[in-house]
Amino acid sequence: MELETLLTAILLVPLGSAAMIALFLRRGGYAAAAVSVVAAAVILGLSLTFLLTWNGVTQEVSTVWLTLGSYEVTMGFLVNYQTATMLFIVAFVGFWIHVFSVGYMNEDESKGRFFGGLSIFMFSMLGIVLANNLIMIFVFWELVGFSSYMLIAHYWDKDYAAAASKKAFIVNRVGDFGFILGIVWTYWQYGTTNLVLLDAQLNNDASTVLGLLLACGFIGKSAQFPLHVWLTDAMAGPTPVSALIHAATMVAAGVYFMARIFFMLSPETQEVILWLCAAMTLFAGLCALGQTDIKKTLAYSTLSHLGFMGAAIGLGFPSLALLHMAMHAFFKATLFLCSGSVIHACHHEQDMFKMGGLWRKMPITTLTCILAALSIMAVPYFAGFYSKDTILSGAWLLAHTDGRYYVIYAILLLAALSTALYTGRMVWVVFFGQSNSDNAAHAKESNLFMTVPLLVLAAFSVGAAWFLEFDVSLLPETVTVALKHGYATITQADVVHHSHYLLLGLSVGVMIVGVLATFFFYGPGASEDKLQRRYGLVYKILHKHGWFDDVYDAYVVKVQQRVADFFGFLDLILISGFMVRGTAGLAGLLSLVTRSFHVGSIHGYVYWFLAGVVIFGAFAFHLI
Amino acid sequence: MSITLNEFLFVSGLLFTIGFLGVLLRRNTLIIYMGLELMLNAVNLALVGFSRFNQTMDGNIFVFFIITVAAAEVAVGLAIIVALYRKRQTVMVDELNALSH
Repeated sequence: MELETLLTAILLVPLGSAAMIALFLRRGGYAAAAVSVVAAAVILGLSLTFLLTWNGVTQEVSTVWLTLGSYEVTMGFLVNYQTATMLFIVAFVGFWIHVFSVGYMNEDESKGRFFGGLSIFMFSMLGIVLANNLIMIFVFWELVGFSSYMLIAHYWDKDYAAAASKKAFIVNRVGDFGFILGIVWTYWQYGTTNLVLLDAQLNNDASTVLGLLLACGFIGKSAQFPLHVWLTDAMAGPTPVSALIHAATMVAAGVYFMARIFFMLSPETQEVILWLCAAMTLFAGLCALGQTDIKKTLAYSTLSHLGFMGAAIGLGFPSLALLHMAMHAFFKATLFLCSGSVIHACHHEQDMFKMGGLWRKMPITTLTCILAALSIMAVPYFAGFYSKDTILSGAWLLAHTDGRYYVIYAILLLAALSTALYTGRMVWVVFFGQSNSDNAAHAKESNLFMTVPLLVLAAFSVGAAWFLEFDVSLLPETVTVALKHGYATITQADVVHHSHYLLLGLSVGVMIVGVLATFFFYGPGASEDKLQRRYGLVYKILHKHGWFDDVYDAYVVKVQQRVADFFGFLDLILISGFMVRGTAGLAGLLSLVTRSFHVGSIHGYVYWFLAGVVIFGAFAFHLI
Repeated sequence: MSITLNEFLFVSGLLFTIGFLGVLLRRNTLIIYMGLELMLNAVNLALVGFSRFNQTMDGNIFVFFIITVAAAEVAVGLAIIVALYRKRQTVMVDELNALSH
């Protein structure tokens, strides 16, 4: 099958599925689920066909979509190794999450709407993956934001879910404002927004401000400081949504985008991103310790790992960021799906401290969760180890030329410690010990629809990165090419080679300390959060995540609302008042006058006669 | 004090205005009709004045035409008014209004 047709099919199949569901199947829950899962399977099949038969040559196809004077908006596909990697992740993880959703959303009444939303999300995400120019990326960027908005508000009758979806969309929009300024600047300065043409013109020497503006999109979509406030609230959506959109793919779209346009980021831009993201990594990791909701903990974990990916970009290793993004997609999706399985079994109980003792009742879920947890904590030979530790090594490597990067290394190491802390806490409290509530006591293992995806994704969380060290690879060859470069550069550097055991010791040590500390501090199957009880103030700071939400709330209420009210007032007076009702009034006045023609009053007719004589006289006397 | 053309025209204009205001402002159809006749006669007066002061017969001849036409018009008009009265039992203009407003 020709490349162009294949890719167009991959892009349009989910759109067709979404259209079919939206038009015909909104009430038909199981039919909609079937259509959506089949569409996801087709996408996976076509993607694998492409990945296994592609010869690795970068290709680009495009067509003109809109012509505005001399400006053309094109839609096209750019296929290089980065595309291949992301395509596999989106298709593979997406497919298994679709299967999981069938089991998870079994009792839900609005299945049709949900699966339609999943399909439109797949379409939007694949658009970002395949796009070849900035405008097209932006269009699909917004579409992904819309899908997220729709899916977070799946339980639209709950106030907090509706508010969360609005918050997600609006905060994203703030980032997109910077993004669009960046796109306009790019076009103005370089005459094109096509990635291939820009790559030819630039070599990390674009203006710093331009790079930062484009990074605004990344900051918004991948929830970095200061636009991170939406991601935790987005957990109001169903768990498959959190897994697919807010862990594996959509938030990773920002990282993918940064890697795609890496040639546009000047060293100063990279530095800003590095510090911002490194700080976020540590901060989010600590805040995860202040949450009792299992999904919120995982949301902060996602924020932390997105910080890792951003730090990799900031250090100058985009392929490393992609590697971590890929591994993160596997283990974070597994973790979220495990939490979904647990939540489903405990009848939608989400408080960690009301669970406990689930290893006896849900062995498969426990096993997959532990495997994914080991991966996220970077246990050697698990997938997370290869990516996360290499980022730390990358910081160490750069630190030898610039001492400041030791600080980065320290921050990232502490963030790794916090990963071990919150993951350990989660696993000990949820799965071990005694049951803390009736819901947990009556839990039983989830059905096949949920456990099979868990097993598959857990397997990938363990072994997805083996291609880096061994000859076995779980991923297709074309997918791994984009991921090898950064890893190779760092691990083969002399500096890293010499400190190999030191670095390994530090990270493994940090991990063991974290796991043991949480075992002894919280205790397996704890029924209350000891941190909350003993160190209330610390817990409060972490729980409120630095009062960011309150600051933004105050800003919106005190400043923004007043400005909006002022403009609303102007709108009422000037536009509604003068322009709209004024012109209506004028028309009304005119009509009152001409109305006298039709009321049958003889006197009116005589006045009109007089008016006619006056006009004729003026005409005759050359006045008009 | 001698009579000049201006006095004729002034009186004529005055009569015309009175007739016109009568058409505009009175409600009785017959009074409106009288106003119309008054306007015609005002014009007659003006024409006679012009004819006298320009020493020509044109004006006078024109006046005869106007008188004839006015008479014919009066005959027809009054017939219509009488028929209208028989139908509607009123000659007040605002009561004759069949269009709603």
